[in-house]
Amino acid sequence: MSFGERDAITGLISMLIAAAMFYLSLTGKFEAGLFDGPEGLQVWARSVLWLIFYSIGIAIAVAISFAILYAILTGEKKPSGLRDERDRMIEVRAMRIAAVITSVGIFAAVFSLAWGWASAMGAFNIILITCSLAEVVKDLFKITCYRRGF
Amino acid sequence: MARHQIGNHIRRLRFEAGEMTQKDLAERVGVTRQTIVAIEAAKYSPTLELSFQIARVFGRPLEEVFYYGEEPAG
Repeated sequence: MSFGERDAITGLISMLIAAAMFYLSLTGKFEAGLFDGPEGLQVWARSVLWLIFYSIGIAIAVAISFAILYAILTGEKKPSGLRDERDRMIEVRAMRIAAVITSVGIFAAVFSLAWGWASAMGAFNIILITCSLAEVVKDLFKITCYRRGF
Repeated sequence: MARHQIGNHIRRLRFEAGEMTQKDLAERVGVTRQTIVAIEAAKYSPTLELSFQIARVFGRPLEEVFYYGEEPAG
């Protein structure tokens, strides 16, 4: 397994864990009524800032755990960290797909705001969800490219 | 996903070059073994630069290592 493929797998696992934790905490806060009132958006923004911080921690923990597990399972003492032209090409294609999904999310959020279908928080949530989705699709695309070729 | 139209004789050339492994070839041209696997299986078309590097390892001109479309006879 190449470094790029391992990176995509750990990225996907980290993203899923961080997103699941974040949306669970968001649901709890929503049920507790923390988003009601004029300070609701502030609470939401602080939650997102925390998401960024603990995502980094989760990413590091998952990368280390995966590296240990990979070394035990394959017996490879020093896995290569080499990235070549194929890795870069897969990365570019995956980024392009992620950019399209994110753009659609931003457009949907602005559209929802313009037509009064969503509040400011709703619009921010649309952007956040599509960003998470873009990350997941990006990593899945990369894994598919590594597994099946492209 | 579709196979690329650029085929190659790398597997045969490796065999002829003293059963050179995919790992050895990858190290000599500075890519991962997985990239060599993908090139051999025609699942990835290498850049012109990498193609020349691979051809140089076997000491052959580019057209003796890679071909476009149908595999040439012989």
